[in-house]
Amino acid sequence: MIKKRRIPRLLQLVLIVAGVYFGFILTFDVILGQLIPKSLLTMYMFFVITGVLMVFTFTEESTRELIDPIKALVEDPSKKVLRNIVFVIVPLLAGIYTYSSLLPSFEAPVELRTIHPAPPSKMKAYGKRFDLATLENPYRKYEKEDPDKFRELVREGGDVYIKGCQYCHGDKLDGKGPYAAGLNPTPLNFQDVGTIAQLQESYIFWRIATGGPGLPAEAAPWISSMPIWEDFLSEDETWKVILFLYDYTGHQPRSWEHE
Amino acid sequence: MRQINLFKLVLFVALLLVVGITFAKPGDLDRGKEIYDKRCTWCHGDEGDGLGAAEGYVNPPPRDFTSGNYKIKSSGFDEMVPNDDDVYRMIRDGMPGTSMPGWSSLLSEQDMWDLVAYVKMFAEFEEAPEQQVDYGTPVASSAESIAKGKELFEDGDRCVECHGKTGKGDAIKGLKGDASERTWPRNLTKPWTYVGSHDPKDIFARISIGIPGTEMPSFADPKSKKMLSIEERWHVANYVVSLAKTQRVVDAENTVIQADILEGDLPDSPDDERWEQMMPTTFFLVPQIIGKERLFRPSNDTITVRAVYNDKAIAMLMEWDDRTKSIPGDERAEKIADKPIQEDGVAVQLPIEIPDKMVKPYFGMGDATHPVNIWHWKSGTKDMAETVAMANSRGFEDIEARDATESGLQAKGSYHDGTWRVVMVRPLTTADPENDLQFIEGRFIPIAFAAWDGSNNSEKGSRHTMTTWYWLQLKPATSAMPIIMALLIVGLFAGILFWWARSAAANKAVGGDS
Repeated sequence: MIKKRRIPRLLQLVLIVAGVYFGFILTFDVILGQLIPKSLLTMYMFFVITGVLMVFTFTEESTRELIDPIKALVEDPSKKVLRNIVFVIVPLLAGIYTYSSLLPSFEAPVELRTIHPAPPSKMKAYGKRFDLATLENPYRKYEKEDPDKFRELVREGGDVYIKGCQYCHGDKLDGKGPYAAGLNPTPLNFQDVGTIAQLQESYIFWRIATGGPGLPAEAAPWISSMPIWEDFLSEDETWKVILFLYDYTGHQPRSWEHE
Repeated sequence: MRQINLFKLVLFVALLLVVGITFAKPGDLDRGKEIYDKRCTWCHGDEGDGLGAAEGYVNPPPRDFTSGNYKIKSSGFDEMVPNDDDVYRMIRDGMPGTSMPGWSSLLSEQDMWDLVAYVKMFAEFEEAPEQQVDYGTPVASSAESIAKGKELFEDGDRCVECHGKTGKGDAIKGLKGDASERTWPRNLTKPWTYVGSHDPKDIFARISIGIPGTEMPSFADPKSKKMLSIEERWHVANYVVSLAKTQRVVDAENTVIQADILEGDLPDSPDDERWEQMMPTTFFLVPQIIGKERLFRPSNDTITVRAVYNDKAIAMLMEWDDRTKSIPGDERAEKIADKPIQEDGVAVQLPIEIPDKMVKPYFGMGDATHPVNIWHWKSGTKDMAETVAMANSRGFEDIEARDATESGLQAKGSYHDGTWRVVMVRPLTTADPENDLQFIEGRFIPIAFAAWDGSNNSEKGSRHTMTTWYWLQLKPATSAMPIIMALLIVGLFAGILFWWARSAAANKAVGGDS
């Protein structure tokens, strides 16, 4: 029988944990460009390490395989040199960690907010109550019934957009308007398939009419620079600008019918 | 035989390339119109006259293509027609410092050439320009070239007349554009606002042909008394490039103003030299377009802040470029600015309490449950000295004026060469913790700013520029605590490991004996 040479269990464990850790960093920070908050990463890694340890210590034999190399390092006289090295490095690492975690932090606190929070079932705007579950764009029907009228409505929506929205959301609707760089959170990119393409028109109506201050707490309404548009736009204008957003980007709003 | 084939292939490919380039370039008018009507008409108007829906809402105003004036071009100075390439570049890269974005992310090259053809048609441009900018032999930047450029820049008020001594565009005369709109000379220290790029070659072109439709003249025109040779123009271009104030560029990653601790007195004057040692942090200013009366055409885009504190008080220096010192009633100020002029101003906004959790007051002057404290400095009028006022507000509508002196707030401003510097000083703690923020070392304190340019469309009240929330931190003095704790931990770990090894060895010895 050929005995397969395999990676020692302890090394396997270390490799798996390190692989998951760098996998997270690679996926979020490098590929997606979304810095993963340290606290969240710590929590994930805690679960990962616990899970891996549980698997690796499932049987007594596997536990022994895991612990033996460590025991050997401490107890085996032939490993004296390695032992001395480890005995210098481990306390030093602990010291460095303590030092750096006790140093005062100059990094701004990380703020997590929900970008598309769940909408309320009902909302108030223009002195009326709207049921968001049934609310529809009154102009959407003209897309099929009267394409000429629809084009005219889109055009009017575009005028509303250019006077009110392009400063932040941009002429290209890409969230990169002339003032976008000065805002945090940054304005939404409507060209992105993850924004208006995923939402219903009633949701957009809610977001425009009540603006940043109309957001629920999990979306941090105190930092959103979206104005309360019911103060500046009529109900009609709001529906028209929504037509424009979808028309210009080529996205389709989600609706109950298709789901 | 083989070689000839290869040669033929190369020739064929080269031919294809040439044909490709020449055929790709001439734009298709009809397709151009189609794209224009979808993408461009909003600002530039159906007729290309700059009277789209955005008219009056953006600064500078959208270009009127029917006028035939192309500001950014590389054809000769007495030539109206731009090169196709000039128009193409503007469409592709956009124009920094304006509302014109670069379109290459949304349109194909062919789309953009089609637009070039269509846009040129508004001024009935058909022939290519005859004259071109003569770039001569470019002069590489060097200390010597920059020094020569500076001399030419200042000589006989050549450039200083409009761009100011330090290049910040602090004009001494009012300027108008071809749509008789008010224009302001470029602040040359802010490279990100150069409409036609900050490349020395592009700057050379601007100097050589001027900016048509504005009062920026050609310095290659032999009729001009201020004319410069090609070499001289390269020196000036190199000097202009050297004016960029890199220390005052926004670093998006840096959102924290670090206040260092100081032994002794704080610098309470804006001209105190010690401010130079404090770390500057620069933020974007955006116009207030969120509530009440809005401002659509701001004149300023950044503010730079430094802070320092001692055991009693904190001092902050706000620095921002403003082309005009707006003092209502002042003769010089009223000569340059459009009336009515208002006072210049700056404001600091802080929460009343340092938030424990993520929740902050609404960044636009607080909200009903989370009030903010505002410090507002104004430049004063001809008959009245500068002032600093304090208010607590719970939103735009609910503003309560307070006595700044009771909280010990002081402010002092100074204006030099196109830049305002204002210092505000307040004790770390006050007698009224219900209404004043109490500064605490080490904590992250939300902070926001607003600025008013009284000469720009009479900025006043809610018509101003502003920032979102950033952070202020009073950097704690360095202590020995971290190093002591670290040494303790090292000792502890080493001890445990040593003990473990010793006891293991002892066990082994015992085991071996038995």
